[in-house]
Amino acid sequence: MAAGRRPVTVRRLRRWLVNALRMLALVAVLVWSGFPILLVVFSSLRPPRDIFGGGGSLLSLTTRNYTNLWERWPDFFHNLVNSLVIALSATALTLVVSFLAGYVYSRRDSRALTASAFFMILVRLLPPIVITLPLFPAVNWLMLNDTRTVLVILYCAFFVSLGTWIMKAFIDQLPRELEEAAAIDGAGLWQTLRLVVLPLSYAGMIATSVFIMVFAWNDFLFAFIFTAVDAKTAPLVISEMVGAIDGVDWGILFAAATLQLVPILVFVILVQKYLIAGLTAGTVKG
Amino acid sequence: MKPSARDWGLVLPAQALLTVLLFVPSLYVFWLSLTKSTYGQSPVWVGLANYTAVLSDPYFWTATLNTAIVVNAVVFGEFLLALAVAMLFAGWIPWRRVMIAVVLAPYAISEVVAVVIFKYMSEPYAGPVTLALKAIGLPTLDWAVEPSHGLAMVVLLSIWHHLPFTFILLYTALLGIPRELYEAAQVDGAGAWHKFRHITVPLLVPAMLVALVFRYIFAFRIFSEVWLLTGGGPARTTEVLAVYLYRQAFRYSDFGAAAATGWLMLIASLLMGSWYIWQMYRRMFAHGRR
Repeated sequence: MAAGRRPVTVRRLRRWLVNALRMLALVAVLVWSGFPILLVVFSSLRPPRDIFGGGGSLLSLTTRNYTNLWERWPDFFHNLVNSLVIALSATALTLVVSFLAGYVYSRRDSRALTASAFFMILVRLLPPIVITLPLFPAVNWLMLNDTRTVLVILYCAFFVSLGTWIMKAFIDQLPRELEEAAAIDGAGLWQTLRLVVLPLSYAGMIATSVFIMVFAWNDFLFAFIFTAVDAKTAPLVISEMVGAIDGVDWGILFAAATLQLVPILVFVILVQKYLIAGLTAGTVKG
Repeated sequence: MKPSARDWGLVLPAQALLTVLLFVPSLYVFWLSLTKSTYGQSPVWVGLANYTAVLSDPYFWTATLNTAIVVNAVVFGEFLLALAVAMLFAGWIPWRRVMIAVVLAPYAISEVVAVVIFKYMSEPYAGPVTLALKAIGLPTLDWAVEPSHGLAMVVLLSIWHHLPFTFILLYTALLGIPRELYEAAQVDGAGAWHKFRHITVPLLVPAMLVALVFRYIFAFRIFSEVWLLTGGGPARTTEVLAVYLYRQAFRYSDFGAAAATGWLMLIASLLMGSWYIWQMYRRMFAHGRR
């Protein structure tokens, strides 16, 4: 009996050890992903002189960095508004365009249509920096340089292919019978789209909007190349704060970074489910 | 059902955006790459001169080598880490939704803020990570001075930033593997490694390939992280191809050379995506015939 008990204890010990290691790994993953972000938010609330070197109590929190940001970079709030307007407009435009195209790709079928869908996938592989090269003089010529419009259109162009793909994958899952019933009742294409398909496509819409929203709100490259003064977005101004000649004011920088990252982080966490569904729909499904 | 003219009308806005803003410009880049041009000067045909100039520029090869190193280190480092995290999350995890939210969080962060965070943490005198490394007697990252350290920072930052993408693809694929397979293997007395090697890996291959191809294509574009972290310096030693292109075009106003670099990048992107393109082509046109 005693001989038989030992392996059970060993096995139990082993299982306990494996579980302990797994929890340790989990903590490591959480620290890796979450700590840097928490560090920004927390540091933005610490007195400027305590950010480096860890002096002062951890509990002495202050809004000094935010008031400093307000005083020293008053335009930053205008830039945040730019980011918001651009991100929302780009998202709205992408949703409309992707919804219409996604519906057709889901419900119609012909070789020419498949070829045009294939073209969409192919174009998605082009590196953006290559495209900025010829667009730069064109944008100048159209006098769209340093406008919100140019960023909205560019973000939309870069995400319409992913958006169409996600919308198609989601509309594929809707039963066709509803549309057929609507057609029998005499509804035209527009009515069917607006009254039947659209209300059922909200999940695909949210999934699409996560990607374009995150990209448009966070983009640096296009804002860097196509804006100068008026249409500057928040990430661009934060990059200027990092490169400031008179030295980096970390307190102000963290306050600006916190204002930039918290809204989009909350958004992503809220729509987490759709993000996951949209990512698999946009890459794996054919 | 065959598309009607009106259906084509619904596709038109999407196709027009792609054609006008991406496809035509990329063809125009090809034409530009065969000409010599700068601001306020009409392009002059020079044939392949830009390509020979770029290909004989040592900075181009530095950028190419750096890109190859960074891309491979990022893609495979991220892949292994994401696979490990996905395996961990496929088992029992407390507060699953919250935990996944934390893992996804870096996805919401902009490149600029990510650079701010990494610069702060590894600040050479008082950054928290530098202090921690010093405290346990490890060497610290001299990313502003030492080119290889600068590139290592870029790799770390990119892995941190894009882990959510690879994680989700692998995690959802893992959840899609039927439990019965593992239970059957358990009955047959298979060990953990055996199950991983003969069930998990083979069934995960499609998702793995998609994750790798996508990350290759996206990592290859890397610009902001390098530009904001090292600016390509010191002395252009940490440039990647996108930074090289940017400098040629917007600093030296040599659009021909920049366009030639652009086309070389474009071809490389298509080659990296060729497996994916082929898969999609087969699947889509097989569907079309049905």
